[in-house]
Amino acid sequence: MKNFKQYMLTYLLLVTGIAAFASSHREAPLIADDPLADNVDLYAFRSPHTPNSIIIIATFNPLQLPHGGPNYYQFGEDIRYEIHIDNNAAKPGDEIIYRWTFKTKNEDPSTFFNIRLGKRNLRNTYTLEKSTNGGQSFVKIMINGDVPPPYIGERSIESPVGLGTPYEKFFNRAVRRTNTGENVFVGPVDDPFFVDLGGIFDLGDAPRQNGDPRDGLACMNVSAVALEIPIFKLTKPGTPSNPNPNNILDDRFIIGVWASASRRQIRTLSAGDESHSGDWVQVSRLGMPLTNEAVIPIGFKDYWNAITPYDELTDTTLDPFFYNPELALYMDDSQFGGAVPAFAPLRIQRNSLGMFDFGNGQDGLFALKGSAAVAGTALDDAVFGTLLLPGPGMPRSVDLWPIFHTGVPNVRPYQLATGKNGDPLAAGKPFVNNFLPNGGDMLRLNMAVPATPRNDPKFSSLGLIQAAVLGLTDPAYNTSTAVQFIPNMDGFPNGRRLEDDVTRIELQAVAGVALAAIGLWYDDYVAGQSPVTQDLLDVLSYTTGVEQNDAAFSTKFPFLAMPWPGDGECGGVIAQNAQSPHTNLQGVGIAAPVALGQNFMMGNAPNPFKNQTTLYYEMSEPGKLNISVFDMSGRMVSNLMDGEVEKGQYSVEFNGSDLVPGVYFAKATNGKGQVLEVLKMIRTE
Amino acid sequence: MNSFFSKIMMTALCLWALEASASSHREAPLIANDPLADNTDVYAFVSPDDPSMVTIIANFIPTELPHGGPNYNTFGENIRYEIHIDNNAAVPGDEVTYRFTFTRMNEDPSTFFNIRLGLRNIRAMYTCERSMDGGNTWTTIVSNGEVPPPNIGPRSIESAVGLGTTYEDLIADAIMSASTGETIYAGPADDPFFVDLGGVFDLGNLPRQNGQPRDGLGEYNVHSIVIKVPINTLLKVGAPVNPTSILDSDYVIGVWASASRQAIRTLGAPGQPSSNSGGWIQVSRLGMPLTNEVVIPIGWKDYWNSLTPYDELADTNLDKFFYNPELALYMDDDQFGGAVPAFAPLRIQRNSLGMFDFGNGQDGLYALKGSAAVAGTALDDAVFGTLLLPGPGMPRSVDLWPAFHTGVPNVIPYQLATGKNGNPLAAGKPFVNNFLPNGGDMLRLNMAVPPTPRNDPSFSTLGLVQAAVLGLTDPAYNGNADLEFIPNMDGFPNGRRLEDDVTRIELQAVSGIVLAAIGLWYDDYVPGQSPVTQDLLDVLTYETGVGKNDKDFKTDFPYVATPWRGTETDEN
Repeated sequence: MKNFKQYMLTYLLLVTGIAAFASSHREAPLIADDPLADNVDLYAFRSPHTPNSIIIIATFNPLQLPHGGPNYYQFGEDIRYEIHIDNNAAKPGDEIIYRWTFKTKNEDPSTFFNIRLGKRNLRNTYTLEKSTNGGQSFVKIMINGDVPPPYIGERSIESPVGLGTPYEKFFNRAVRRTNTGENVFVGPVDDPFFVDLGGIFDLGDAPRQNGDPRDGLACMNVSAVALEIPIFKLTKPGTPSNPNPNNILDDRFIIGVWASASRRQIRTLSAGDESHSGDWVQVSRLGMPLTNEAVIPIGFKDYWNAITPYDELTDTTLDPFFYNPELALYMDDSQFGGAVPAFAPLRIQRNSLGMFDFGNGQDGLFALKGSAAVAGTALDDAVFGTLLLPGPGMPRSVDLWPIFHTGVPNVRPYQLATGKNGDPLAAGKPFVNNFLPNGGDMLRLNMAVPATPRNDPKFSSLGLIQAAVLGLTDPAYNTSTAVQFIPNMDGFPNGRRLEDDVTRIELQAVAGVALAAIGLWYDDYVAGQSPVTQDLLDVLSYTTGVEQNDAAFSTKFPFLAMPWPGDGECGGVIAQNAQSPHTNLQGVGIAAPVALGQNFMMGNAPNPFKNQTTLYYEMSEPGKLNISVFDMSGRMVSNLMDGEVEKGQYSVEFNGSDLVPGVYFAKATNGKGQVLEVLKMIRTE
Repeated sequence: MNSFFSKIMMTALCLWALEASASSHREAPLIANDPLADNTDVYAFVSPDDPSMVTIIANFIPTELPHGGPNYNTFGENIRYEIHIDNNAAVPGDEVTYRFTFTRMNEDPSTFFNIRLGLRNIRAMYTCERSMDGGNTWTTIVSNGEVPPPNIGPRSIESAVGLGTTYEDLIADAIMSASTGETIYAGPADDPFFVDLGGVFDLGNLPRQNGQPRDGLGEYNVHSIVIKVPINTLLKVGAPVNPTSILDSDYVIGVWASASRQAIRTLGAPGQPSSNSGGWIQVSRLGMPLTNEVVIPIGWKDYWNSLTPYDELADTNLDKFFYNPELALYMDDDQFGGAVPAFAPLRIQRNSLGMFDFGNGQDGLYALKGSAAVAGTALDDAVFGTLLLPGPGMPRSVDLWPAFHTGVPNVIPYQLATGKNGNPLAAGKPFVNNFLPNGGDMLRLNMAVPPTPRNDPSFSTLGLVQAAVLGLTDPAYNGNADLEFIPNMDGFPNGRRLEDDVTRIELQAVSGIVLAAIGLWYDDYVPGQSPVTQDLLDVLTYETGVGKNDKDFKTDFPYVATPWRGTETDEN
């Protein structure tokens, strides 16, 4: 099947140009134990601030505690952090690669603090290289790039004993322009992802059936590399240099984006050190969110991380997890649907239009294969080969598989049901084209789609699903099949914006919402009635309970929120104050009892003194007071005060001109002989 | 100094049988990036519910997120997790060593969930081996040891679609009895350590000068190895069956833990595991808490992790960080005292008894060297050699250095000021003897000291510092200079109990509290007056703001609290 699949994809590409789904924190066993090289998330979206630019963000090193001292978190040396861009499915491999490599330096090895007196330890700097020939050669486009320090806290960052600079300044200064025109940011940020980790990985308890939902990544930081790239630098080769798209779904504007981290094959430990040698081996990658967290089962996760999207062309071991996804078992009452109550609103079409069963192991649309009904559509073997209908018993080959492997073409049946008059295979209203059949898991973005302003009332974290809902139900869009910009067409899975609620979107996709959008309605649809049935509403209104990030995103590059500081509300849980241990301070040995005055303060100036010094004291309540001066051997040399004193502030002079230079003590006691305070006074020559 | 130092230590040992202060989460640059092998804490205490047994706990894998799915943390393969015990300074190296090695298995590789329908993925099992001859030969004492699964949540643990049990049952099932008398638990636990990480590492902002104190380890888990060992297994050869006193020198043990990996790791082909080969390299170790976090500066942390305590006998790079500790700079107004307002109550003796300056770079007690005043004391070259007074400009050679390197002997001047009548070099009231001059950083415990019941009103998280306070000030103890049990003599730094507030104790120790306990009072002491001066009270009442763990400890084995559940955290 291997070469055949590759052949089919190539063929497919020649004939024309689908929608589906996928964050990855500690997602596979091996990489979970190598946090430095653990790729967490990937975002790619058209800039809402500079519309002719694309923003690509890759995050690494998950679950950073803002207070994770003394060493905090850095990018690792001996690791290649890369962002890969493909824009030409006809040519194997990446068109553009950005590669970051880091150095770490201690500016003051004599302290255990990370930052002290203007000096930074474990300070990261980076080199950014770019390849435009598939990785055969790289050109340095930035050297000595500075990574902001960890946001330890006010004393380390702002105060004069630290760096004496507001953190915002470090953050802003970290935005640099390369000599090839990209803007780049590298540094710690608030983790932009949001998900109820504790709920969902407790056997799918999202939203929680007992208790409030919790963002498991709230208050955590992550290390980000971000790029702002002019669109014209990313379009398919042959596109004019200052292009205007033919339309907002122009397929010359589709890019596939993925990120990776690689290490040398051999690590050699020695006492207190390590060295690296051998070939570079990819240890982590990410394209679509959650692929390797919630689609790939544990036995294949490490393998998934080690291959490239292009390797997936010839791989045959992973496709079954998309054709018959595990998550679908929990959305099907004849499988384990009853075992996951939180997913009760999510039910897959088992009898769509009275004909089509998308339950795991069923045939989906396979019965249509070769029929006149699919002639000329993406399901026609003559158009896309057997790619989308590879065989029976693979029901999700028509929706989930292409979303994760090829993107979605603007070809029947992958148009909205609007205008289809009940026939899902008819032409409908276009809403997506990010078809780039070049291999496997990538984030595919059509850059021709305009950005939805973040303050637009129609902006939605549901991304492309919301665009589909609007295209089906909003009178502004559902009266014609013309290509038209619908808000959120620039949202996941057409690329991925920081705000997109990808967990919710992917769970809805597994529940068949993409099938419904193109007219394969839920089982409770009655012909001639509204397709917006209870089943559809249940899926659309399903929420995990955690719908937005815990920090607000910035309105300009890098759009990410500054990292949480270690000394703030995210720096640990409020301490349960322990009682001070009972200390019975009656006295030492067989000595006299001593107590403290809490209502007395005393000081003197100057100190040291030559001949004379002034003692200042304050009584906060009236009472008896004795102030005497003693020498080192305990001999009293002067009594300065002995009597009743009113509440108030006082001063008294002490003349020591006839005393030998040395240390003297002024002791204040109350009427019970309890010591209120002792001052050490030094007479100099 | 190398072999000389070693010889001096042996001399000291022959004549007799000292005290100081220091946890380690992500404490050194290299190990911070290898969490599986990162040793976070070590505890050693006489079991409060069974005084014939000593419990040793070594924790690994810092700041585990209870909800850190889908691949929750567990022990790693290809790592040697070890607990080392020394009881005889005359014999180099460990007397007893426990080694834990783990395997992981997926019972259902077809799911992305960690637990489903009674099956567990990444399930860890272990073998425990024991060596009684310094690591030459090993005997397996537990095979197929159970590690409880992560405490994911009620659906994964209790429900019928999960494991259909309770987490407490899973813990109970994982308590193993070794063929040689030890009771063993290896598995997840609430991290028993407590500290305001965000405050202290923001340039010493402890307690926070603005805002509420926060336990930086609150609601995080670790993986614990807990062993309860009969005292007679740990006893020095030839030691009496019953201790001759509660400070019997033959009952002192030194405990440390480590993690090692093989030198060469080669990444496998896609989907294949890495292969490991070559000699075993120690990548993490721990004895006294906080040594490698706040004593050893960053340039030496990786090096420190690679050494054994025995290597420290010959090492000359690290002593200086104890003679003149960085933290002391922030407790001295002539240095950077003014730069760390949170430490304002902590001031070191710069002019104790009008004579002795313990500020960094000063001479401390060095002026006494060779004088009649120190004859016969631990400071006499004829007794302990130049160990404690190696030279000028090393003021903390008499307190911090021995606390971390040898333990504290029950020898003048290391007795409480009670009964000394103002002369710190006179005989006083004994309060500690955990002297085991066998090398470097270990947790040293005198097993003869009875445990203080945890519900005793005198029980204190201040450990040995509180025992000293009681011995100095409580009429029940300070009327004589006799050796008697004072509550909390079984506390840190005589071993370490789970409850002990080691951060506070160590900061107080850097501030000279041990010196004060033996009669080297603070600068504001007036002869003839009470030595309980404002300076001393300031140090004693100094608190970090985080004085206890976020969970209660168990009253019986394995003592550590049940790990936080993935669905119960993040309430803030």
